[in-house]
Amino acid sequence: MARNTYGIDERLETPFSFAHFKRASVYVIKYRKKMLLALLLSALASATGLLAPLITQRALDYSIPNKNVTELITLAVFLLATYIISVCFGALRSRIMTVVGQDIIYDIRKDLFAHLQKLPFQYYDDRPHGKIMIRVVNYVNSVSKMLSNGIINIILEFLNMFFILIFMLFVSVELTLVVLSGMIPFVAVVMLIKKHQRKAWQAQSNKSSNLNAYLQENIVGAKVTQIFVREEENAGIFENLAEQLRKAWMKAVSYNTMLGPCVDSISVCVRGAIYLIGLLLLGPTAISVGTIVAMTSYTARFWNPITKLASLFNDFINNIAYLERIFETMDEPVGIEDCEDAVALEEIKGSVEFKNVTFAYEKGKNVLQNLSFKVEPGERIALVGPTGAGKSTIVSLISRFYDVTEGIVLVDGQDISKVTLHSLRSQMGIMLQDSFIFSGTIEDNIRYGKLDATTEEIHKASCTVCADRFIRKTANGYDTEVKERGALLSQGQKQLISFARTLLSDPKILILDEATSSIDVQTERDLQQGLNELLKGRTSFIIAHRLSTIRNCDRILYIDKGGITEAGSHDELMAKKGDYYRLYTSQMLEMEA
Amino acid sequence: MYQLKWLWKNLKGYHAIYILAIALSITCNLLQLAIPIFSQHIVDLFLGKDLSVNLANLETKRDLLIALVAGMIGSTMLRALLTYVSHMTYEYTSQKMIYSIRTHLFRKVLYQDMAFYDKYRTGDIMTRLTGDLEDIRHMASSIVRMVVESITMILIGMAYFLYLDPIVAFYLFLMAPIIFIVTRSFRKKMKQMHKELRETKAALNTAAQENISGNKVVKAFAREQYEMERFDEKNKAFRQKHIETTLVHVKYVPYIDTCANLLPVILLVAGGISLINGRITMGEYVAFNGMTWTISNPMKKLADIINQYQRFQASAKKVLEIYDMEPEICDAPDAIEHPEVFKGNITFDQVSFSYGNVEVLKDISFSVKAGETVAIMGETGSGKTTLINMLPRFYDPTKGRVLIDGMNVKDLKIRQLRKNIGMAMQDVLLFSDSVDGNISYGDSDMPEADVHTYAEYAAASEFIEKMPEQYKTIIGERGVGISGGQKQRISLARALAIKPSILILDDTTSAVDMETESYIQNKLSGLDFECTKFIIAQRISSTKDADKIIILDDGKIAEMGTHQELLANKGYYYQVYMLQNGGEASHG
Repeated sequence: MARNTYGIDERLETPFSFAHFKRASVYVIKYRKKMLLALLLSALASATGLLAPLITQRALDYSIPNKNVTELITLAVFLLATYIISVCFGALRSRIMTVVGQDIIYDIRKDLFAHLQKLPFQYYDDRPHGKIMIRVVNYVNSVSKMLSNGIINIILEFLNMFFILIFMLFVSVELTLVVLSGMIPFVAVVMLIKKHQRKAWQAQSNKSSNLNAYLQENIVGAKVTQIFVREEENAGIFENLAEQLRKAWMKAVSYNTMLGPCVDSISVCVRGAIYLIGLLLLGPTAISVGTIVAMTSYTARFWNPITKLASLFNDFINNIAYLERIFETMDEPVGIEDCEDAVALEEIKGSVEFKNVTFAYEKGKNVLQNLSFKVEPGERIALVGPTGAGKSTIVSLISRFYDVTEGIVLVDGQDISKVTLHSLRSQMGIMLQDSFIFSGTIEDNIRYGKLDATTEEIHKASCTVCADRFIRKTANGYDTEVKERGALLSQGQKQLISFARTLLSDPKILILDEATSSIDVQTERDLQQGLNELLKGRTSFIIAHRLSTIRNCDRILYIDKGGITEAGSHDELMAKKGDYYRLYTSQMLEMEA
Repeated sequence: MYQLKWLWKNLKGYHAIYILAIALSITCNLLQLAIPIFSQHIVDLFLGKDLSVNLANLETKRDLLIALVAGMIGSTMLRALLTYVSHMTYEYTSQKMIYSIRTHLFRKVLYQDMAFYDKYRTGDIMTRLTGDLEDIRHMASSIVRMVVESITMILIGMAYFLYLDPIVAFYLFLMAPIIFIVTRSFRKKMKQMHKELRETKAALNTAAQENISGNKVVKAFAREQYEMERFDEKNKAFRQKHIETTLVHVKYVPYIDTCANLLPVILLVAGGISLINGRITMGEYVAFNGMTWTISNPMKKLADIINQYQRFQASAKKVLEIYDMEPEICDAPDAIEHPEVFKGNITFDQVSFSYGNVEVLKDISFSVKAGETVAIMGETGSGKTTLINMLPRFYDPTKGRVLIDGMNVKDLKIRQLRKNIGMAMQDVLLFSDSVDGNISYGDSDMPEADVHTYAEYAAASEFIEKMPEQYKTIIGERGVGISGGQKQRISLARALAIKPSILILDDTTSAVDMETESYIQNKLSGLDFECTKFIIAQRISSTKDADKIIILDDGKIAEMGTHQELLANKGYYYQVYMLQNGGEASHG
């Protein structure tokens, strides 16, 4: 099992290809109209800006020599006007692109989050949650600039470059070639550092992901760390991770910083070459002074966009490291999803059948072996047996949290792999070992089971599971805010809340996986009475170790070594004097000793 | 301003280098102004208006041309080199600074008491240690550099203008007050916006974090659609706030840019009239014109600088909140150095505890001798976990005292106190690390043999050895991938492995099957080290052998005694016993 931890860099499975780029463009193309408009506005702004030197020229050539102050002032007003118009075009572009940039990352984040909802348990189990989180928030934020203004600027600068190149060709083909020869070292430098730069940014994103993972785990596990007095040691590990991140950053940024000075150096060399070649090789007779002056000024203007492109290129390389992580997550196979011709499951009665089911989490290691059983609607089934025997696996298969390796699971006679997941799971109530509580009020948490439940329904469900008593004792009753993971609530209280939540969803099939393990015996007894009423007409699967919970079930399946070793009612199994009998009497003996 | 001071404080050890970075960036700016002098000379000498002069110069001063070109290239390359060094120095120092702040924050967070964790959400704390720090880093590495470069440019430009002609310069400087007024109102607006933006960002973080942690529940209820809608709200809010903030920025940019563009306009009028009056020469006018960018360019950056600075402030404020935070539960100034290993005599002396306005424990008094076992039972929410949380000082009693070996726990060093307590918690929390690493969490130098021994005590060795890489198998965060009972057993092994003098087991075997449980019971009664045990349990089988059984009811001690005594008492304990022993008491 290649499970990832904070100490392991996540290797990128796919090399970067233009496919990623194409994929990113899908998000961008959606806003092409707005972006074209922005591009147009930018071009207009530049064009208006070009008027300014003409106006100044006119003032210097005519108004001032003619000592015409009124014309001078008129020209000044014109100059101001061109500036204002240019600035307004620019501002309009910024307005448009701000919205586009945010819309794009909103879309990406939405898609990423939606995909995360589809990913199986396995995905979440295999890596620290901090590593998933950093993608949804930080990475997506990082790419916004590149995908909006970045693209426009790249186009603009290329256009700039292109126009200046045409101007240069008109002035002097020879000298243009000199200017263009500067492109060779530039491209060489870019190619040379590109590979290292990309790797360096990937490393940086890995290190920041590791740090995030460790941070998250430490916040969640602070209590354990404190009781084991591990603060200093963990701080040491964190320092190490922070140091690795610092080093990775320095390395990555050293490539980025290199590019600007390189472009400057090349550009000045080209200018020097124009002077030398123009004056010494071609000579002032062959080439006019005006040509050389014009060429040097064009050189500056030609390299200006290149400098900007270089810096855009830096951002691009840097963001690709994040973008490919985002796409990697989006490409993560969903594993369990609706098959193509999946139908919605009608309201079910609640029969469940396993036909020759074999299941392995990992190839070759079967957890369940050729398991078959049938449960009639309304039956109450207990699953007992040693820990790790596969009880939780069986109930996970009913709700299709995993797909069977061989055989089929039928609900109301329908193969569950042929129905939609939503129609299947929404008719089941599944209470897991880990009763997760969301931050919000207690009422919100219970309502999670049925979003449109009335307050009365919520109170009723709480009463049934005996949660009402303690809820009313909390500071604000049902409106008491519970913190993330239900801090301030005891484990038993959390289980009662999640029990109420499950009941509220009015499931046809109820699955209780160690759902009441932390609830005290008294409360459990009261709970049982409420449940007896409630379980009528619902099929239920109960995994529990407490025999008092098990005894009342219609049928008990003893699970061991990947299969059912005994099945029957309490009395039948007791009479059989097998595994169940042994289990039951051992507990009784314990009691009497 | 205190935030900048704080940044400076955190650059400790790198002050000199940081100043060097600033000096270097100023030098680069000066060089940037010096370089055109070379090309100016080349143009003047060889590309003048008079072709014959040019040719003559080219004949006689050929070497000078080469020298000037070499000078131009050389100085630019020097500047390129210095720019590189300067940028890297900024990066280096700001990274060192962030490292120091980040590790300091991490320590702060780790040492906070439970009241802190009850208040702050994981996503919120994480935002402070990641996104907020990024804004702070950006301040030190880029904004400061931008400000330094801008100021240098403006000062040079102003000095040069004053030198050229004070009167024209004066007209140019008229813009200063306008700029000042515009930026002032801008700054105020931005401050509020960034504060709000920062909040929506933290909310987004928290939403993502909780959804990821709760992914199993989401799936169990088929609530994916609902979760997407909920997240969409946060995502939308973030987008909206981001757009609003940027639009305020975008709204001010034209004003500031226009101010900057006023420079050439003013120059045209003031300079033009001066030219007409003959007060300045054409050469001087061209010089003015050629230098206006030294002032207008920095001005154009002003909006951006203010924007980023406000963002920095909003983030720094959040970081500082934790940076200086002291936990309420901490070592007393005169905390006692207790001998390394406690004996384990424990007394609760009239302990009461309130959380908010709810009284969770009421007047709890009892004593336990070293080596004894205390079992605590009671209804869900009766205060069992709260009671044992008083021992390692996760919370301090509101009233009364908790004594260990006759000393108030408040007078002991927390570190030493906790070193003596082994605790397996109700809400089992394992780390994404190897099984081995998890069991030896309390002492990473623990010999491998100990890990195996205590895994065996906790009935965990059997299933661990069946795992793909046995003790080296990595288990997921929070122990995902293994069953609840297995998690509990690893957590028990972890608590045992530090050989504590006080062992607390908070419902540690609730998800373990009965056979395994009785195995663990046996092992616990024959541990190879002396300890006082606190056991919270629901099953009589776990509690019946205890020296003292305490029944809690609504935060008060309802019954206390041995198994036999409590059975004779015919109270809660008796009922539970009857229930578990055949159900006659309830179902009869």
